[in-house]
Amino acid sequence: MADAHDRRWGEEEEEEEELDETSYKSIKDAVLFAIDVSPTMLERPPASEDKKADRDSPTSAALKCAYQLMQQRIISNPTDMMGILLFGTEKTDLKDGDSTFQNCYLLSDLDVPSAQDVKRLRDLVEDEEEAEKLLKPNKDGASIATVLFCANQIFTTKAPNFSSRRLFLVTDNDYPVKAKQDKDAAVTRARDLYDLDCTIDLFPISRRDHSFDRTRFYDDLVYPTSPSDPDAPVAIPSTTKVTKSGEGISLLRQLLSSINSKAAARRALFSLPLELGPGLKIGVKGYLLLKRQVHAKSCYVWVGGEKTQIVQQSTSHMADDTARVVEKTELRKAYEFGGDAITFLPDEVTRIRQCFGDPVIRIIGFKPISSVPIWANTNKATFIYPSEADFIGSTRVFSALQQKLIKSQKMGLVWFIARRNASPTLCALLPSEEKTDEDGEQQMPPGLWLIPLPYADDIRLFPEQPDAPLKTTDALTDKMRIIMEQLQLPGGVYDPSKYPNPDLQWFYRILQAMALDEDIPDTPVDKTVPRFKQIDKRCGEYIEDYGRAFEETYVQLSRGSLAVRGKPAAKRRTAEPEDGEKPAAKRVKAEPKAKNEDGNNDGLTDQQMAVSNDKGQISKQTVAVLKAYLSQRGQATAGKKADLIERVQEYLQSKGM
Amino acid sequence: MAGKEATVYILDLGAPMGKKRHGRDHTDLEWALEYVWDKITTTVATGRKTALMSVIGCRTDKSDLNGVMEEAEGYENITVFSELKQYLLSDIRRLQNKLKPSKTNEGDLISALAVAVQLMDSATQNKAGKPLKYDRRIIIVTDGRGEMDDGDLDDIAMKIKDTEAPIEIVLLGVDFDDPDYGYKEEDKDAAKANNEEVLKGFVEKCNGNFGTLAEAVEQLNIPRLKQPRPIPSFKGELTLGDPQKFDAALTIHVERYPCTMLAKPPTASSFVVRTDLGTSGLSDRSSATIVGEDHPMSDLAAVRHQRDYQIDDPEEPGTKKNVELEELEKGYEYGRTAVHIAESNLNVVKLETEPSLRIVGFAREEEFKRYLPMSRTNYIVPQRTNQMAQLGLSSFIHALHEGGLYAVARLVTKENKPPIMVLLSPRIEPDFECLIDVELPFEEDMRRYKFPPLDRKLTVSGKVITEHKDLPNADLTAAMGAYVDAMDLSTFSKDEDGNPDEYAKPEDTYAPLVHRINHIIRWRATHSDPTLTIPDPPEILMKYSNPPSDLVERANSILESLKVASDVKKVPPKVKGRGKRNRSEREKPISGLDIDALLGNPTQVKIDPANLVPSFKQALAVTDDLAAIQSAADAMAKEIRNLVKNSVGESAYGRALEAVRVMRDELTELEEPEMYNNFVREFKKELLEDALNGDRREMWWRVRGSKYGLIDQKRSLVSDVTEKEADDFYKT
Repeated sequence: MADAHDRRWGEEEEEEEELDETSYKSIKDAVLFAIDVSPTMLERPPASEDKKADRDSPTSAALKCAYQLMQQRIISNPTDMMGILLFGTEKTDLKDGDSTFQNCYLLSDLDVPSAQDVKRLRDLVEDEEEAEKLLKPNKDGASIATVLFCANQIFTTKAPNFSSRRLFLVTDNDYPVKAKQDKDAAVTRARDLYDLDCTIDLFPISRRDHSFDRTRFYDDLVYPTSPSDPDAPVAIPSTTKVTKSGEGISLLRQLLSSINSKAAARRALFSLPLELGPGLKIGVKGYLLLKRQVHAKSCYVWVGGEKTQIVQQSTSHMADDTARVVEKTELRKAYEFGGDAITFLPDEVTRIRQCFGDPVIRIIGFKPISSVPIWANTNKATFIYPSEADFIGSTRVFSALQQKLIKSQKMGLVWFIARRNASPTLCALLPSEEKTDEDGEQQMPPGLWLIPLPYADDIRLFPEQPDAPLKTTDALTDKMRIIMEQLQLPGGVYDPSKYPNPDLQWFYRILQAMALDEDIPDTPVDKTVPRFKQIDKRCGEYIEDYGRAFEETYVQLSRGSLAVRGKPAAKRRTAEPEDGEKPAAKRVKAEPKAKNEDGNNDGLTDQQMAVSNDKGQISKQTVAVLKAYLSQRGQATAGKKADLIERVQEYLQSKGM
Repeated sequence: MAGKEATVYILDLGAPMGKKRHGRDHTDLEWALEYVWDKITTTVATGRKTALMSVIGCRTDKSDLNGVMEEAEGYENITVFSELKQYLLSDIRRLQNKLKPSKTNEGDLISALAVAVQLMDSATQNKAGKPLKYDRRIIIVTDGRGEMDDGDLDDIAMKIKDTEAPIEIVLLGVDFDDPDYGYKEEDKDAAKANNEEVLKGFVEKCNGNFGTLAEAVEQLNIPRLKQPRPIPSFKGELTLGDPQKFDAALTIHVERYPCTMLAKPPTASSFVVRTDLGTSGLSDRSSATIVGEDHPMSDLAAVRHQRDYQIDDPEEPGTKKNVELEELEKGYEYGRTAVHIAESNLNVVKLETEPSLRIVGFAREEEFKRYLPMSRTNYIVPQRTNQMAQLGLSSFIHALHEGGLYAVARLVTKENKPPIMVLLSPRIEPDFECLIDVELPFEEDMRRYKFPPLDRKLTVSGKVITEHKDLPNADLTAAMGAYVDAMDLSTFSKDEDGNPDEYAKPEDTYAPLVHRINHIIRWRATHSDPTLTIPDPPEILMKYSNPPSDLVERANSILESLKVASDVKKVPPKVKGRGKRNRSEREKPISGLDIDALLGNPTQVKIDPANLVPSFKQALAVTDDLAAIQSAADAMAKEIRNLVKNSVGESAYGRALEAVRVMRDELTELEEPEMYNNFVREFKKELLEDALNGDRREMWWRVRGSKYGLIDQKRSLVSDVTEKEADDFYKT
């Protein structure tokens, strides 16, 4: 019947490829925030005139981070868990009546966050009184060993068998023990966590008068690699930067940035040999650094009880002829062919799909980077990074390759089979250089990217175009170029972090409001909408300039091409009147539109039209030109071309031209 | 795109076709059929009702004109196997038995041609006798060894060229001379030579195609491409600035068509082998009539998907309760909170948008990261027949191109569709120009994992090291440079004029899986015998699976020096496994502190139910003694059973499952699979026999679903459990 349980397949499974089940463990992630509540952690920075200066105490900054991360994870990892544990508090409460873990306060239990968890946290972050009631430090703090064992218990019971369990420890105390046996106990408890495959991620905070020294205590607690992914590249030691309280950029911003870089558990998509040539293989791992985030699909809910419940669906298969329930193993695949079905036995299916060989990334040769034009894109790229797990020396060879490709501006052409049964793809293997922001934080990792290329089968025909379309002139192109130069993005670069997905943000904002029974906001924030005011200010003038050049060029060119296009014009005549009725068509006329200050705008001027009329060439104007001309003068634009010409002539007459 | 078509195959079945010639290991007919079946099955695979076919046999033992000709005289030894119709799999199967070499040499190919023309004529005209719009084609495959009466050929050629109903003629001859292809048969029979001459003259007169079979069969392997008609996904305005609010704004009317779109292999649907054959009972309830039409198969039944809906029973915590679809409402999940939204209100979560393509700004081409685009691409072209749009877009395209710029725009293709950010890049080809759009990531689409640098090493203390085993030395850098340059493909191929050209351009590559599956389906249609081995894919699909051998050969010595400089060593499988028995190899914290020493190097660790997994791992780590390992495993097993026994409903199953996994992994690593296998056999029995405090079958489903069954030989070399045995363990 219903197969498997809360196992969530890898996201890469969206393709209909059949996967080797054993290679997928449940890949959920559980994050437990442990936030130190001590007098120094609660101390606020001195008041400052500087707007950018800190206002938050370290504890409150940590809570704000947790709040932000919680909201973010509901969007990005809706099935992953998160919890918040305060330690060093006067109160002891683990929500289960047990008081084994003294001075530990479980603010929100380790679980998929609920709307209530979000609200609770927000109240704490926004309401100072509320916060003060709870954030009362115990005068002796909490035993760090107790905190670690507490985390151990929470992970064991709340997130059993998770492939990723992480403890985010935020503290400013680099030596939280008094006696040696306390330290030994903490060290032992830390190793228990390690054996439980839990990672400790330390977010240290330096005080103004004391900078945090990891070597005093925490280097005995934290392990160099993540136990669940032992050969994952070692994180750069500087990632867990010492965050200085009360100076320079705000503590909150620094903390947010280092927590954000760990927001998603790093999961390798595949681990494969990269074959540079016959007999030369190295090991690499693939990571999805780009993934379209979409909002949840609607689901069924049950409103019959006190609490609205999400309905769980399960599917069972039934033979259509007998209504007998069938097991998955009984299913056979068949292809429709000639009104019948063509079937293959399971091992034949294997032979059919696996005839292309084992999963591999194999270099076929090299080409200049210019051989991957933008149009040759079919899907998102996958990032690869070396791994020493299978081949010792992989990293140096990979590094040599990456540096050579950067230096020579080349790409590798590779034959790529991501996993058994996957379709072989030809990919461009492109190097990426490390990029850091002004704070030294890594923005783009160094490595190689696999960009899937299209096959001949994937390239579509160019749509049919008219025989001799109008082409630009150098003068007109130059006018356009000036506009474009004026409107360059900062640094000439598209920076994704400046463009949150408006649809996704709006969706969750509304949902959150509804979940918490709050007023629904009415204006969405949409940073993808162009800044029209700025465009107008920066290059309104140039646009008008272009508009004038366009008119002139158009008149010249369209006149020249009239002979060629007798027929299409006739066809269009029948289509136009319909257009004219729709308000949208009003803009047809304004094609490339640019008004002059005096309101005498694009399209032909009265003077030009009169000349055209006098020469007997008015009938050679296109319907669009005529309509544009008329509508700008407040005249009706309905009717056939003959009607339009008549109306233009009437208009000219009325002006005495 | 595809109109109506009618194809008549004339197949020479004369006795000489049954011979094997020129050292081939199949008969001429088998060879010819390779071509004919490929053509027929390709058409059948399209499933088009408007693709008609017929097969006429020439030099057959009997005569059967199927009523095509009024008189049978003069048309002896010709068989019309079917009228012009859509072919189905059943037609193929029926025909297969009939296409065998005859025992005769009698039968005139020209007469068969006359029959084909007549058949074509009558089947592709309307009732009034007027020819309909059809693509007419007659394909002749012969060895040219029969007797021919060429008296009527001119009349037939006239008929074939009839402008009202022209017929395309394709003639393929077995071992016919073809100078273009470069084939000449030695010691050719004089009669055959004469026939070839006659037929060639005739085909030329009809403006048809005349060729030798070898070439046609060879070309079968070149995959055929489908070219779907371009369908626009957006028609609207490309705007710069806001024409409604500001005076200065540009508007260009554009249309958007797919440029790349992944071709998908045909998909298989699920069926189940019928079990009710011959048995009654449910048979009158069976929906054979409905299914029967779609899949008239005797041994397979369609599969229906039944959905069940469950909620946590509010009355009995820990249990589930079924609910009916009618009782349910729509909603969304916010974290674990269910948010109910009335059907009428579902739009509230939607962002209101209107169709538009608005320029956000411009980006420098040389700064753009080629790995950012996330989607397939589209052409953006001016609105058809709109000259203003043509001029406007052309100036836009050229300005981008000349300025080395890309445009970034916000695109909404339909009302209330979510906006996407797209990159607009100029594409100027000799015969067309357009913009190419491709989707860009939003902030949420970027995963900011961090990776260490590749050109330097950082120590814990923050020092930068440039010489390290993970960094290439000068030798390796030089060897890699030489190798990359040697394996250059940009001029490896030749174009039509013999000039150096880029190797493996996208337009020269074929989607392997798409053509593989299509090919195999067609193959199976004519090879229904289940004992036949599935053939390998044609070479052309494998062409780019390896570097070109000439190039590899040329670069061989360079590759060898790269290998030496790389000094890559495969990690022996052993190291991955057993390592942990050695205490000194236990992972240490960053400081390198030896925790065991700190604890006085214990030799025994007790399994602690409150700290189950860590204490189990530690118990194994401190000992080499088999008895101690066994006792740790026993203690672990006991705790797993306790977890299940004391579980309220399914509450502790997750923990138990984790303990099972850890035990399995650790014992595999210690190469003691037997210890685990004994446990899991026992455990399975207990779960299925309700021996652990009630119905615990759900726990077994989880063990099974997670594949935590027996450790087989594939997983551990020392296991005595075969893969099959391990597989069966899940089934029974």
